[in-house]
This record gives sequence, structure tokens and C-alpha cells, in this order.
Amino acid sequence: MADTATVAHAGAHAPAHGNTGMSNNKLAMWVFLGSECLLFGGLISTYLLYRNEFADGPAPGDIFDIPFTSVTSFVLLASSLTMVLALSALQRGDIRNNRLWLLTTALLGSVFIGGQVYEFTSFVKEGLGFTTSPFSSAFFTLTGFHGVHVTLGIIMLMSLFISSLKGNLRKENAETVEIVGLYWHFVDIVWIFIFTVIYLVPSPES
Amino acid sequence: MPGRFRPLIAVPLLALVLAGCADDAELDTLQPQGPFSRAIDDLLNPVLIVAGIVFVLVLGASFYMAVKYRVRNDAEDEWPEQTHGNTRLEILWTLIPAVILAVIAVFSTATLFFLNDEQANAITVEVGGEPVSWEPEVVVVGQQWWWEYRYYFDGVDLEGVQTAQDLPPADIVTATQMVIPAGQEIELITTSRDVIHSHWIPALNGKRDAVPGRFQPWLIEADDPGVYFGQCTEFCGLSHSRMRMQVIALDEAGFQAWVDAQTAPYAPESEDAQAWLAQQRALTALAEGEELDEEPLPAPSATAVERGIVTFRQACSSCHLVDGVNDDIYTGATVVSGAAPVLTHFASRTTYAGGIFHLYEPDGSMDENTLEAWLRNPPAMKDMYAPTRGMPNLGLTEAQIDDLVAFLADTGTPPSDWAIAESEVE
Amino acid sequence: MAISEFPLELESGRPAVAERPLGALTRPRGSQGWTSWLFTVDHKRIGIMYGAAALFFFVIGGIEALLIRTQLVQPDGNLLSGDAYNQVFTMHGVTMIFLGAMPLGAAFANYLIPLQIGARDVAFPRMNALSFWVFLAGGIFINTSWFLGGGADGGWFAYAPNTGLVFSPSHGMDFYAIGLQITGIASLVSAINLIVTVLNMRAPGMTLFRMPVFTWMMLVTQFLLLFAIPVITVALFLLMFDRLYDANFFNVEMGADPLLWQHLFWIFGHPEVYILILPSFGIISEIIPTFSRKPIFGYTFMVFSGIAIGFMGWGVWAHHMFVSGIGPVSVAAFSLSTMFIAVPTGVKILNWLATMWGGRLRFTTAMLFSVGVVSMFTIGGLSGVTHALAPADTQQTDTYYIVAHFHYVIFGGIILGLFGGFYFWWPKVFGHKLSERLGKINFWVMIVGFNLTFGPMHILGLQGMSRRIDTYAQGYGFEFWNLVATIGSYILGVAVLLFLVNVFSSWKRSKHEAPVGPDPWDARSLEWSIPSPTPEHNFDETPVVHGLDEWWHRKYGVDEDGKVVRLAHPEEIAQKGDGTGVHLPSPSYFPLLIGIGLPLIGYGLIFSLWFAVPGALLVLGGIYGWVFEPPDDPDAPHGHEDHHDVEEAPVG
Repeated sequence: MADTATVAHAGAHAPAHGNTGMSNNKLAMWVFLGSECLLFGGLISTYLLYRNEFADGPAPGDIFDIPFTSVTSFVLLASSLTMVLALSALQRGDIRNNRLWLLTTALLGSVFIGGQVYEFTSFVKEGLGFTTSPFSSAFFTLTGFHGVHVTLGIIMLMSLFISSLKGNLRKENAETVEIVGLYWHFVDIVWIFIFTVIYLVPSPES
Repeated sequence: MPGRFRPLIAVPLLALVLAGCADDAELDTLQPQGPFSRAIDDLLNPVLIVAGIVFVLVLGASFYMAVKYRVRNDAEDEWPEQTHGNTRLEILWTLIPAVILAVIAVFSTATLFFLNDEQANAITVEVGGEPVSWEPEVVVVGQQWWWEYRYYFDGVDLEGVQTAQDLPPADIVTATQMVIPAGQEIELITTSRDVIHSHWIPALNGKRDAVPGRFQPWLIEADDPGVYFGQCTEFCGLSHSRMRMQVIALDEAGFQAWVDAQTAPYAPESEDAQAWLAQQRALTALAEGEELDEEPLPAPSATAVERGIVTFRQACSSCHLVDGVNDDIYTGATVVSGAAPVLTHFASRTTYAGGIFHLYEPDGSMDENTLEAWLRNPPAMKDMYAPTRGMPNLGLTEAQIDDLVAFLADTGTPPSDWAIAESEVE
Repeated sequence: MAISEFPLELESGRPAVAERPLGALTRPRGSQGWTSWLFTVDHKRIGIMYGAAALFFFVIGGIEALLIRTQLVQPDGNLLSGDAYNQVFTMHGVTMIFLGAMPLGAAFANYLIPLQIGARDVAFPRMNALSFWVFLAGGIFINTSWFLGGGADGGWFAYAPNTGLVFSPSHGMDFYAIGLQITGIASLVSAINLIVTVLNMRAPGMTLFRMPVFTWMMLVTQFLLLFAIPVITVALFLLMFDRLYDANFFNVEMGADPLLWQHLFWIFGHPEVYILILPSFGIISEIIPTFSRKPIFGYTFMVFSGIAIGFMGWGVWAHHMFVSGIGPVSVAAFSLSTMFIAVPTGVKILNWLATMWGGRLRFTTAMLFSVGVVSMFTIGGLSGVTHALAPADTQQTDTYYIVAHFHYVIFGGIILGLFGGFYFWWPKVFGHKLSERLGKINFWVMIVGFNLTFGPMHILGLQGMSRRIDTYAQGYGFEFWNLVATIGSYILGVAVLLFLVNVFSSWKRSKHEAPVGPDPWDARSLEWSIPSPTPEHNFDETPVVHGLDEWWHRKYGVDEDGKVVRLAHPEEIAQKGDGTGVHLPSPSYFPLLIGIGLPLIGYGLIFSLWFAVPGALLVLGGIYGWVFEPPDDPDAPHGHEDHHDVEEAPVG
């Protein structure tokens, strides 16, 4: 009844790195991101359904400032690169560069959020409030949900940064950075979809 | 053991048998009265039989095993043969239901497309003395908690119509009872003025949701003249259960007579009332600030009907319409649904208030008591969110109520004894 | 057994920081007394609390059901006003589904999954506690609506625009939208936790295809939850934004489409049906083999049909919308997909029957309930096929025929299975059996009451009685069967009472009886290889698994003639429950704090943001404390010589 697979398996068994060979924490993040896909899927579908329903308010085609959003989108995408650099620095044990890139990533994320705040304010000034039309409600909800995700990511990055300053983020904790990185890359990738759907697909004009 | 199990089989089987033969059920889905409902019934019946057979087999197998393999003593060393499975068998019983379902699916899909296959079949209807070729269609508008039926004999143009509120004026607008020619396929265009409702006449076809902002097609047809009952079947708020309706199918002559009656505006008998109404119209028509040349006529008050006309114009105009009486000042209501039932030819209907009250006694006389009670305090008779939705208590005096009842009784030819009898719940 | 936590947790390696989280709070300790339940992270205690809370809500939902049935006992019933009736039936559905059946499944999952895969706890014990407290908080939050202006009145399906502020002006739908978001957090966290647990924490040798069918069905369930919860979360957010902040997602005048809600709701709602039923399928897949003395017939088919149901469950949602106006082509497509989801379900039924075939059947209470599931669920499945026929569904939908159908599925398929599970695992959880005598009476009263309640609804539906009506007029032929159904519902109420009586009397009786052994049913999976009730640390040593039905194979072997021979008695080979040297995760305050904080935020959104301030402080404080609290308290009393964690491979 004994089989060799079992023996091999038993040898590989370790609490932190389970049967999948991945730690519980990392696996949990992957699973969580799977769930997030459906959340954004629902919101993107809602937006697609309502992009033509701008009632008497501004139409998407009238109001989007595509060059501006392209720049902030590029900033957000660039932060994925700095996130990778932060992780690889820590994996090498390079605490200093790890801190530098963590901070840069958080800063780039903040620039994106700043751009979103500016965009929202200017839309409201131009008459596109949250309650103006189904289009406006869907737009603000979708981009707002994404903005909240980015903000949470920034908070996580800053927590890592502070913990690094306290000397608690060392080479052996590289996986924590990797997990935050997974989240961060996910948020960036989702933005690629959102940016395409909202800004790149030709928008109806009034 | 089997004896104890018996109720398990008995109940569902009995259920199916009894459902088939209950003849006092006005909403019975198993007594089709038209081609569409019959197609559904023809599809369902064999499937019910197959389902019954499968159920009996499963339950029979359970019984058989319960009897044959049951052990009472817990002799621990007796073990049956340890079978772990049988791939062939399992593939077989994956395939068998799949094949049965595939066969059912073919019939189901065919029926589905039959139900959606509109066969335009124009009939000739005389409207105002002019023959019109009409492809029978009725716009069905749901609102809390009654149905409106709108007839457009030239066809309805939905171009640019976003919601039911934008619907163009119709040739006939009635409520709660839809009148159709028997033996004709009728296209229903369902929509709603507020929340989602569902229009369902079980004897004639399945149901179709009335969704605000959408105009959704559905077909019904009645084989023979008759009154067919319905009930709103999508939960629509407070008085969902009190949102009922009927379809009255008439023969060709009967339908033509109904159209003739319905298209004529109300005209009071007395000359006083006619003159007063004419002057009121002239007043409305005049631009604001202009004076009427003549002395204002005194409101007619010789008969209860005349007083009722006056009261109706004054107390009911903001929501209800009787063509010929207040069509000049009626603008539609401010309730959420934007409408209250049009009461033109009210007396020709047999039910009102969402089909929950009968207007006539079985002997053909008008049930004035219920109508008076309704006018006295509608929210007490039917749950409503008055005054924002539904009819509020208008605080009418007893005299006004009597007058209004007299007027409403005068708004049309009473329905035939046949219609009154048929629309009673037995 | 180091159990690590959420990614934000920074392993400081400096215990000085961790000993006194938030400065003032020392770590909760001890495993005795009621406070130990509040701060526990033990999956078994959490499972028990899930079960108790869910039963409590189940009883509330049952009382609501009795109100409904009493109202409908005769025509023109006026026990409840139309408004009250609408609240009662809405809350009945919400309570039974979200606060009764789902958490009952979670109770079994929490308690049993770690035991069945040979783990010491779930992957994230504190998150597990968080799931429970957040669920309980959400459930209480939703039910407080009764005292704060009335319960939700738009139906559990909450079709827009009837749930908008204009049409539902009370706060009921706000409680619905926010409360279900809170319980959604609980389900999502729990799903992630259990998925990681099953994928990552299996004992050596416990490959995926050696897992008991129950664990498999639960794994599929958790994946369904993982993907379904975010979809309803979106829908609930849209509804909440419409109601609280004047958004226009369901404002038809502005051009919104009410069908958006229906799609979102049913994309969640149909997988939800399988979320509810798969745990029950798992439960009876454990019970039937045990009491048939045969292994489950066609294990692989059972597992794959469960997975198939999980996948196909995503492709059938629009069968709830056959009359909504989605167009005949969509209707045809969803009609077909719905018919074919019956295939894997049918496979399961036939495999259960085949498991019993030729077996030695012991009709214990648990077995009776399981056979009850097989036959009653078959009725629900077959009536399901009749409305997969889209044309027939146009007659049936929103009538009592549907009510009958899904109660045969939910009560006949799910609740009966869960009760079977109670009778089966009760000795493992509490160390004593429930009375079999009373249990059998319990079963027969329940099955009779159930069929009397819901059987007649088939007839009523085909006779044209609509759902969700607070009253019906005389003369439609509804009188008799409504009377029968109401009588049946009271019998059903008695059956539930009998169960509670059984729980109580068996507990009293157990004080004078010898404890049951580790394996009172001669069962098959690993949870029976440890003492009853389960010791706090589960396994003295992590078991090494050699095959499916590991525990059975340790007790029995097959000789040359194919005859089963006993190798050992359970008492001889069961673990002794000696926890010396076992290192367990420590209790924590923070899951409870977060659980208390979330509904306060909910009240804040509905009434005044001032309520949200303490709520937000609790949640933020809870997260802060959590992050800086190591999962294990280094000072907690335990041995440290726990390196030898894996048992020696047994001979055999």
C-alpha cells in the first residue's frame, strides 16, 4: 500500500509552503485576485451597458481628456516596473534600493491618484456629477473602485516602507513584498482594461 | 417499511393527477384555451410523464434496496462486495439522461420558436364608420397596481418612444379588461410605467414581463369567445396580489360592437349638461386672461348624473379621464406611474380597481355599495401608497359619492349578462 | 505548525512589539470560559458557532415561514397587512439563504475540512474567526431592520426598480444592500481561507484525488463563492449608490435598464444554488457509503460531476429570466444549458443509488436523511427539468410551482442533508450521539411535514397561484391545497422542534453515559481516527495518507478471496488525543472587533455618519492590531519540542 509518491510528498510537506509549493499567503493573494476579476468584470459590464446613456448630461466623447489620462495611465504602468525592481532588490538583500523603489512605486501610484482627483474635479465642474446620468454613475463607480484599490495599494507600500525603516523588512521577508507586488500588478492590469474600455474605444458624443 | 414510504409517492403523483382535473381553477395552466397555451401544454405533458417515470424508478430503486439490503443487526464482520465503480455503467447513465434531454430539447426549442413566431393576420375593423385593416395588437401597460390596454388601429409607432409615458394617444384606452376578437392572433406589446410587472393569462399563453423602458412582444390567442383570467406575476410592491386582469374574447360582431361603443366620447343626455360642458371646454380653450363673452352657465344639477359630471370634472380630473367630459383639462397624473385608469366607458367593464371588485351583481344590477365604499376611502379597500401612488381618500361627501356613482353608471352600455356571468369567479 | 497570516503581516521577529498589541491589550489566552469562545481561532469552535448561529437564524426564518403559511391558510387572509407580508416573505428568503443554509454549510466546512485532510487548523485561523464574526454581525444587522422602520420589502431577488427609493421608501432595502455586503465579506474571506486550506494544507499523501467527496464538494463550493460573491457585491453597491447617493443605475427615466440588476443578481444567484446544494451532496456522499458498508460508487465520477456542476452553474443564470424579455435566441441557449446541467446531477443520484446497491444498509437517522435527500431532491431536479423547457417556464415561473420546485431542492436537497450531517457528525463534535429513537421520529415527522407543505404547491402553481401574493380571492380553487400546505408547515415546525429537543435531551442523557469512541459509525475518513469530541489540536501527529478512505483501510483489509477482514479496531489505532508538544495558533481579539465595527459603519451609512465613526475606528484599530499581532503568541503555554509533527507511516 505504500507508494513512493506519498513518501516524496511527505518529504516536501512544510507548513509555510504547502502542497502546491506556494506559501499560504501567496496562494491566498492569487485566489483573492481571482475574485477581484469578477468584481471589476461586473463594474466594467455595467459601464459598457451605460456608456450611451448620458441623458441630458455630458457625453463621454465630449468630456474625456485622453492625452491627460494617457499620461497618468503611463505613470501607473511604470509603477509596475518599479515594483519589480523593489522586489528584486530585496531578494538580493539590497535594503536601500528596496526602500527606494518601494517609495517610488508609492509615489507613482499617488501621481495617478492625483490625476484621478483632478479629472473628477474637472468633470464635476463641467457638469458631469455622480448623479447626472447612468453613464456618469457608472463611470465614477468603476474608476472610483479602481482608485480605491490603488489607494489601498499605496497604503500597503507605505506600510512596507515604514516597516523597512524600522528594520523589519529583510531578505527573508521578500515574499511579503512579492505578495503586495502581485496585488499592485493586478491593479495595474485592471487599469489597462478599464482605460481601453473607457477611453480608447471610441466614445459616443452628444 | 414500504408502507411508511407510501405517502412519499402518493403526494406528488396525486398532485399531478389532481392538478389536471381541477375544473374550478380560473387560472389553471393545464386547461389551454388557445393555440399558444396548448402548444405549451402539449410540450409539458409528455415531459411530466417522463419525469414521473424517472421519479418512480428512483424511488422504486430506493425502496427495493431499503427492503432487500437492510440489515438490522450490526454484525460488524459481514461486508458486502467492495465495488468501487463501473466506468461503463457510469458512462451509460451519463449518456442516457443526456439523450433523453436532447430529445426533449428539440421539442422545447421548436415550441419556443412557435411561441415567438408572429403570423401577421390583418382583420378589418370599422373605426368611426371607416373600415381599417388592423393587424391585431394591443399595447399593454402595467403600473402599480392595474393594467392599461391601448388600441391603435393604424398601428403604433414606437419610434423615439423611450418609456410608456411617451406613448402616443390611442384610439381606445381601457383598463383591467382587455377585449380581443376570438380566433385571432393578438400581438401584445408589454411595457410598464413604474416597476416590473408580468402579464399572464394562463389559458391563452405564458407570461411576459412588462419592463419599464422596454416594449416587449408577446402573443395570445383565444379559440373561442370567453373571459380568461389573469394575474400580475412579477412582484411589484404593496398590492401585487391585487393586480388582476381579464381578457374578454368576443366574436367578430361582438368585437366590432365593442369598438363602436368605445370609440364614441361620452355625451350627457340632458341639454343643460351638454351646454355646460361645451362652455367649460370653451373656457379651457380660451387663452388665459380672456373673458368669456357670455354669462357663465350654472352647473347642471337637475339629476344625479349631471351633478356627478360636475363633481367628476372638479374632483377627478387630475388623474382620471372620461373622454367627452374632461379630456380638455386632463393632463395625466403626478403619481409615479404617471397615470390612473381611463374611465371612458367605465360602465361597460365588469371589474375595477385592478380587477378586485365586481361592478355588477350576478343579476346584472350595479353593485353600488362597493363602488361607494371604494370612492369613500380607496386605501381602506386596497393597500396603496396613497397619495403618491394609488387612489387617495378624496374626502368626498356622501352626496358627491352618490352623484359620482350615478355618473359612472351612465358612462357606457352595461356589459352583457354573459360577460357579467363569465367574469365572476366561480 | 507555524501558521502564517495575511500578507500585510510583517514578521518582525521582535516579540517585544507583539506581546502587547495596541499597548494595553494583552493577548487573549486560555481555552475555558465564554470569553475563550469570543476570541477563539479554533476552526472547530468557529464551526460550532457557525452552526449555532445559523440554526438560530434558521428558526427565525422558519417563524417567518409559518407567518406566511398562516396568512395563506384561507382566502383573503388578513393576519398580516400587505406591507408586513412583503417584508416577511422577503426576510424569510434572505434569512434562510444567506443566514441559514449558507452558514450551515460553512459550519460543516469549517469543522470538517481540516479534519478530513489531516490538518491542524485552516490556513488562516484568525481570518476564519473574522468570517464568523462578520457573518454574525451582518445577520444581526439585517434583522435589526425589523426594529428600525421595517424589514426589506422587495423580495430576496430585489428586482430593480421596485427596490428604488421611490418604490421602497423604508430603510429595509438599505439594510438588505449593506447587510448582504457584510455577509458577503464573510463568505469571501471564508472561501479564500478554505481554498488555501484544501490546496495547501493536506496531510502527506493526501493527494487531491484521495480527498473525501465532502471535501471535494466543499472545495467546489468555495470556488463558486469566490467568483459569485463579487458579482452580487457589484449589484448591491449599485443598489446602495442608487438609494443612498442618488446614482442612476436603475433610474429608467434616465435611460437605465432594469435588466442589469437581473443579470448581475442571477449570475450570482444561480451559482448560489449550487453553493447551497453541493455541501449537502458532500455530506450524504460520506453518510451513504458508511451505512452501506461500501465505498462510494464511482468516486471519480462523483468528483467530476461536482466540478462539472460548478462550471455549468455559471452558464445557466438567464433561465431565471425566460419571461424578462432577453430574446428568443438567448432563451433557447439558456434553456439548453439548463437542461444539460441535469446530467451531472443525475449522475450523482445514480451513483448514490449504486453505492447502496448490494450493500449492507444500516438505516440510522443520518442514513434516513440521506436517502430522503436522494428521493426528495430527485423531485426537485425533475420539476427543474420541466421549467428548463422555456415555453413551459412561461407558465410556471413566479407561480407556486417554482416555490415547490426550489423548496424540494433547498429543503429536500439541502436541509435534509444538513440534518443528516448533524446526526452523523454530532458524536464527533460533542462526544455523544443524538438519540437515534427521537432522531427517526424527527426524520419521519419532517419528511411528512415537508411533503405536505411543498407537495401541494406543485398543484397550486399549475392551477395558477402566483408567488409573493399576500392574499388570494375565493373561487380560484386554491383553498384546499393552501390549507394542506399550512398544516404541513406546522408539522415541519414540530419536526424542527423535535430536533432541538433531541439536542437538549441527548446532551442531558450524555452526562450519565460512557463517551462514544472515536469511530461510533465505523466510518471511513480521517476525522474518525481521532477521539470524540475532537481534541483542540485535532491530530496528535499528522496522519500519512495512503489512499482514499484512509481510515477505513487502516481498519480493514481485503483477503485473497476478496473478503473484507478486520485489521484493527478503531480504539486500538485511533489517535489518543495527547496534545503534548503541539503548538496551536493563539486566540485574538481583533476578528471580533472588526465584526462589531462593520455593522456600525452600516448604520452610519443609513442613518447618520456619526455612527460610522466608532465603527470605522473599530475596523481600522482591528486591522492595525491584527497586522502587528503575530499569529502565534510566543508566551502561550505549550511545549516547544514539536518538530516531529508527522506520524510514522502505519503498516498496512
